[in-house]
Amino acid sequence: MTVFTCADSFEGILCGVYDAWMSRLGHANVCLELADMGNLRMFAEYRQVEEDPEKADRVIGAIRRKAGQGVYECVYHASLSCEEQKADRIYRFLVYALHTGPEIVGMLHIPAVYELFRMNRFVTNEAMHMIEFVRFSQTEGGILFGTAAPKNDVVPLMAPHFADRLNAENWVIYDEKRRKAAIHRAMGEWILAELPDDSFRRRLAEAGDQAEFENLWRTYHKHIAIAERTNPRCQMNHLPLRFRPYMTEFQKGV
Amino acid sequence: MLIQQNMELREKLAILADAAKYDVACTSSGVERKGRPGQLGSTVYAGLCHSFAADGRCISLLKILYTNQCIYDCRYCINRRSNDVPRAAFTPDEVCRLTMEFYRRNYIEGLFLSSGILKSPDYTMDLLYQTLWKLRYVHGFNGYIHIKAIPGADPVLIERVGLLADRMSVNLELPTSEGLKRLAPSKDRTRILTPMRQIQRGIAGQKQGIVPAPGVERNVPYRWKRQFVPAGQSTQLIVGATPENDYQMIAVAEALYKNYDLKRVFYSAFVRVNDDSLLPALPGGPPLLREHRLYQADWLLRFYGFSAGELLSETSPNFNVFLDPKCDWALRHLERFPVEVRTADYDTLLRVPGIGVRSAKRIVTARRSGRLGFEDLKRMGVVLKRAVYFLTCGGRMMYPLQIDRDFITAQLLGEEKRRAWDIGQKDSYRQMSMFDDGFLNPAPTEEDRLTAVLGQM
Repeated sequence: MTVFTCADSFEGILCGVYDAWMSRLGHANVCLELADMGNLRMFAEYRQVEEDPEKADRVIGAIRRKAGQGVYECVYHASLSCEEQKADRIYRFLVYALHTGPEIVGMLHIPAVYELFRMNRFVTNEAMHMIEFVRFSQTEGGILFGTAAPKNDVVPLMAPHFADRLNAENWVIYDEKRRKAAIHRAMGEWILAELPDDSFRRRLAEAGDQAEFENLWRTYHKHIAIAERTNPRCQMNHLPLRFRPYMTEFQKGV
Repeated sequence: MLIQQNMELREKLAILADAAKYDVACTSSGVERKGRPGQLGSTVYAGLCHSFAADGRCISLLKILYTNQCIYDCRYCINRRSNDVPRAAFTPDEVCRLTMEFYRRNYIEGLFLSSGILKSPDYTMDLLYQTLWKLRYVHGFNGYIHIKAIPGADPVLIERVGLLADRMSVNLELPTSEGLKRLAPSKDRTRILTPMRQIQRGIAGQKQGIVPAPGVERNVPYRWKRQFVPAGQSTQLIVGATPENDYQMIAVAEALYKNYDLKRVFYSAFVRVNDDSLLPALPGGPPLLREHRLYQADWLLRFYGFSAGELLSETSPNFNVFLDPKCDWALRHLERFPVEVRTADYDTLLRVPGIGVRSAKRIVTARRSGRLGFEDLKRMGVVLKRAVYFLTCGGRMMYPLQIDRDFITAQLLGEEKRRAWDIGQKDSYRQMSMFDDGFLNPAPTEEDRLTAVLGQM
């Protein structure tokens, strides 16, 4: 068994796929792992994957040509997943996908396809939840600042939605876990940036003076519930507790 | 009646949110619209729920009344004329400011604006129109707007409002005209159905290329021209305020879907907010389980190809308390089961309890390329707990089960009873005791049977 270790990014995984495939060792004899993940195996040879945009481009080209845009999107979503085995799962899926073509996404009885479908579903569902539940607070100069801590790396999936919806606003969505942010300038483009130092957050927090609307929202949230129908279980099913620390209506008012 | 001048915005919001909360519709679905440069907002076809209130209902829109002053005296309504409650009214600017600022912070998906009847239906509708006009054209709001059409308002006003809103609704409230006469003496059924018909014609006319009213928005740039009620119309029925049975309710809903092209009918379990001799006493709280069953049946009508007559009839006019409507139907039609997963068509699969729209579609796609087994079905989202009694895979059932009505009912009941209990008696957990054998008794094993037969105890 030869194990290819690749970086935890879309490009990194695709480079891993390229190296493993082109090593000509046979699909059964290779395996992909993310770098720095747990224990080493005893009877395996480890190879470090070198990142090279050209390798990734060739894999993307092959996916698009042979399997179409739908499969490409599935693979991209899966690469944002938080699961450790995602690199190998993407590889196993591509073995089928490049052979079969676009209709592979519906063949859920194949375990490799199902695994990818499952990761894809988790990522897109969480992205949808984060789009719904992320809360902005207004800071210095009218900049909207939202914080999130999603399980999967969904900020790149949230950004296009808000770039369209809040196109005339300056906003930032900050992923606390991965210390990266999507930053959008009014009437402009959005970018993805790594922000290892979070001193900017304190500056933004100090500048916030929007207690008025946050309090109004808490008032509204309290009054819209019908007392006779109180049902915390149902609320918890729809809005799990892990989202709540970041949501205005569940924070204590000033 | 208490009318305060110069009330703080926060108080007004509290009063008018309280007054609006018994209206159940809070969906933002039905229309996909991209953002426009420089404006605020977009809409998503499936709708987005931004929060959930303590009662577990979704908060998608900022649901408020424009005012809770009302000239009518409907007996079920908290805002009726004869009630002594604090009254308030927004101004158009306040509604716009709240909507814009909440929307920017991603609290809401849009605005749901309803109102008590102030002075006259026309006057009220005109206030709502002014508010919407400001929101759309002064503030550049491009998000979702759901608005109530006030029965009795001028058709021209309704048409103008329809061009600014995404969804309109007229509440039927009570399914029969007798019920309406009893509890809402100042409303009558034909007056409610008139605007509904008008909205339906407007939407249909637009689809055929007939613009509803040429030149209505003459002073508006062409790129801002809007469609007439693009997300369709909806209505609401109150459950349990009048003695109508489930069959009547669901038949009315079906007729509304068919004859008025409604997008949704909402059901609202009656909450007794007024102490009135004509209202039923509800010692067990609002009829939540009944509301739940009606929603289940409503889904069956809209997405599963069922008709009201199949689910209920004059002789058995109410839903089974213990079984959901689909299981109930399946148990009454065991001659159609079991269904073979590998060959049955989509419509047949949809009628199997435990299979939904998504899983049926996945099955139909996946089986083109391979043989499906029960394990695969589970992965596709089929609820085998229920489906297992009604399916075969390659000619075999998952377990050697008998297709017998009593047997399957007993099996399904164990599962369903617990869920019905959860809905009816939320927050009360079963106390476990030493002598509670409800679910702790193990089934007899093969050895037990053998020893029992051979008499070797």
